[in-house]
Amino acid sequence: MFRNYLLTAWKVFMRRKLFTAINLLCIVLTLVVLMVFASLLETAFRPSGVEGKSDRFLQVYMVHMESPNGAGRMNTPPGFKLIDKYLKPMPGVERVAAVTLPTSVSVYQDRNVSELKMRRADADYWKVLDFRLLAGRLPTAQDDAAGRMIAVLNATSARRLFPGAPKAALGQRIDVGGQVFEVVGVVEDAMHLNAYADIWAPISTFPTSDYRNQLTGMFSALVLAERAADLPRIREQVARIARGVVHDDPKQWPKIRFWADSKLDLFSRILTFNEDQPDSGAGKVLAGIAVAMLVFMLLPALNLVNLNTGRIMERRSEIGVRKAFGATSSQLAVQLVIENVLLCLAGGLIALAATAGVLAWLESADLIPYLQVDLNLAVFGWGMLIATVFGLLSGVLPAWKMSRLDPVHALKGAI
Amino acid sequence: MLRHLLKLTWKRKSRNLMLSLEILIAFAIVFALAAFGLRYLQLYRMPLGFDSADVWSVTVVPGDNGDKRFDDAVYDGLRRGLAELPEVKGVGFASYEPYAMSTRTGDVRRSAANDKASGRQVRAEMIDGDDALAGVLGLELADGRWFSVLDNGAAQRPVVLNRRMAEAMFAGERAVGQQFINADDARQTQAYRVVGVVGEYRGKGELAAPRNFMFMRFEPGKYGRDARIILLKLRPGTTRDFERRLNARLKLVKNDWTYQIAPLSSMRASMLKTQTAPLIIVGVIAAFMLLMVAFGLFGTLWQNTTQRIPEIGLRRAVGASAGQIYRQIVAEQFMLSSVAIVLGLVLLVQLPLTGAFGESLNWPVFAGAALLSMAVIYLLSLLCAVYPGWRASRLSPTEALHYE
Repeated sequence: MFRNYLLTAWKVFMRRKLFTAINLLCIVLTLVVLMVFASLLETAFRPSGVEGKSDRFLQVYMVHMESPNGAGRMNTPPGFKLIDKYLKPMPGVERVAAVTLPTSVSVYQDRNVSELKMRRADADYWKVLDFRLLAGRLPTAQDDAAGRMIAVLNATSARRLFPGAPKAALGQRIDVGGQVFEVVGVVEDAMHLNAYADIWAPISTFPTSDYRNQLTGMFSALVLAERAADLPRIREQVARIARGVVHDDPKQWPKIRFWADSKLDLFSRILTFNEDQPDSGAGKVLAGIAVAMLVFMLLPALNLVNLNTGRIMERRSEIGVRKAFGATSSQLAVQLVIENVLLCLAGGLIALAATAGVLAWLESADLIPYLQVDLNLAVFGWGMLIATVFGLLSGVLPAWKMSRLDPVHALKGAI
Repeated sequence: MLRHLLKLTWKRKSRNLMLSLEILIAFAIVFALAAFGLRYLQLYRMPLGFDSADVWSVTVVPGDNGDKRFDDAVYDGLRRGLAELPEVKGVGFASYEPYAMSTRTGDVRRSAANDKASGRQVRAEMIDGDDALAGVLGLELADGRWFSVLDNGAAQRPVVLNRRMAEAMFAGERAVGQQFINADDARQTQAYRVVGVVGEYRGKGELAAPRNFMFMRFEPGKYGRDARIILLKLRPGTTRDFERRLNARLKLVKNDWTYQIAPLSSMRASMLKTQTAPLIIVGVIAAFMLLMVAFGLFGTLWQNTTQRIPEIGLRRAVGASAGQIYRQIVAEQFMLSSVAIVLGLVLLVQLPLTGAFGESLNWPVFAGAALLSMAVIYLLSLLCAVYPGWRASRLSPTEALHYE
């Protein structure tokens, strides 16, 4: 039975090659756009590459403070003191890392000025994230304690500053905004929320030690759990710690709140302005993305509906015969939807190959620095899901129309 | 002829409805893209109000989280230290530089005394600037003067407005010499006095919409906010390698501070890039969608004409010429597109009428976008009709009548 459907579908597709090609092209164009979008999201939020442990770490990016009557509100990144005094001693976690947000710095070499993004990070940062070391070594706790002026470059910046193999950069001295650092390591480029930077140095290389006394500032904390299952407990722990934090000016800011967020939660919190409540709004954001994708499919689906309606009219004698031999309307409708979904899945496969090409172009075009997207099984799954939804969306209306045909008229060939 | 066409179209109304709907959505997409692009073009042609050539900005980062206040001596030290460099022509201080991502906005209103006459609040972007800022940024005053030592010890804080703001606050009056207060903070009212009006100032760059804007005179230690951006006017032709010497000189003034140095030209380039990136992405996706619509329309029209071959054969047999058949197919498509476009315009005209997008979708932009998108959609749908129409008209009546 199913085999018959497949055979009929194949015969129909081959009979009018031009229309099958146009159908397929429309499907592929739509699915490529959606799949590129899906795989960018997938890369951003799935644990992969340098942030391979992101299924068991949470980040604290934002501190929300309120003045007594709620009139004054402030959202700022946490300072080093908050992480050092309140988060680092937290029991039941593997480690807590402190890192600054990337800032622009200028690197001076003879007559050249290069603008790089710099982070200052402690030794734990290098253990939470899985940077792939190309040459040299990563900073350790001893470097932090001694305040050594060392720096780690990523591969692209190392090549830009010191042409040649990554090894060429090791041991070189670079002038970063007036401070001289020795390059001790080169790591692979990475584009991820917590990893993105061109150059890293230990936190203790700040020109002054003022940062040690600041509750708010420009840091973010990464909390690495021993097991992914511990995350809900850690979220609660962090929320409890936040309630116990006392500001240096407790009269001005008596209420301090912050939350440990997964990457998706963090993204949603920023997008939905939910900085002042435990709920990050991730559900809302995911629903929004799904709706946006469906709306995007609307025009292509309408296009396909128009094309399919035309095709059905060509097949009315076939439909008439099937109806005369007792096929029900719903059977016919299901058959047509299945045909359409099959075509969409075939289009999905082609789109997947095209997506790989588009992503390779995106990586090389440098629109997003250090972008590295891999087409894995999950993206494949998402792609097929999108293709099926699209097939259903564009197949149901013509199928319903077809199943309503009167067998007598259909056999005669009139509508 | 027209009645005949209408009748034919009405006969196939459900199919034509779907086609029209598709054209309508495509029209809306082209319209959105055209409006977006035309608005940017319109903004790009407006005067900017400042001259960013050879201006560099230095952001002072003392690592104190913005808690401390610099005193007069610090500013004097910076000003004198930098003016000694031969490349530096002018040194100014501001709280935000042009092309900065961050802004500060506040509400102001005319003083409480004539509150009833014009109690309207005006929202404005605010920048603290010192006496030298106008020279560094090349601001041109349309009326009054820039801040100077004359303002020392003034009872109200001296401000310079842009013309837009002056018109919003003091419509029909001369703004210079007028006073107003801030409406944000009921506890501590700050009074301002207008000393000058500049023609225009769009700090966010060429593609930013004009906003109400006020410069407030910056004096070290007063008004509770520091101006931590140094703006330098350099000699023309200064190259980027000057940055290293500039940084060394700044380190001489204060060694434990960090300085972020950037020419305004590079900040401008990155600002333009962030502003145009959405347009480019939307444009590429829209182009793909239009391509798809073109394929779809072509396919559907082809199928339609194929189905109507017997009808066409009959018309040929009773004496219609090939040109008439051709014109019929194209005219039908033209009518369908027109229905969709008129419907789309009726819907879209609500946007400027209700002011949903405010000033960004003004009437010139709307008219331009409507014309442009109409042209694109007519062209697209007619192009799709040309080949099927030509094919139908070429059939000889005998073939067409026999067609199965």
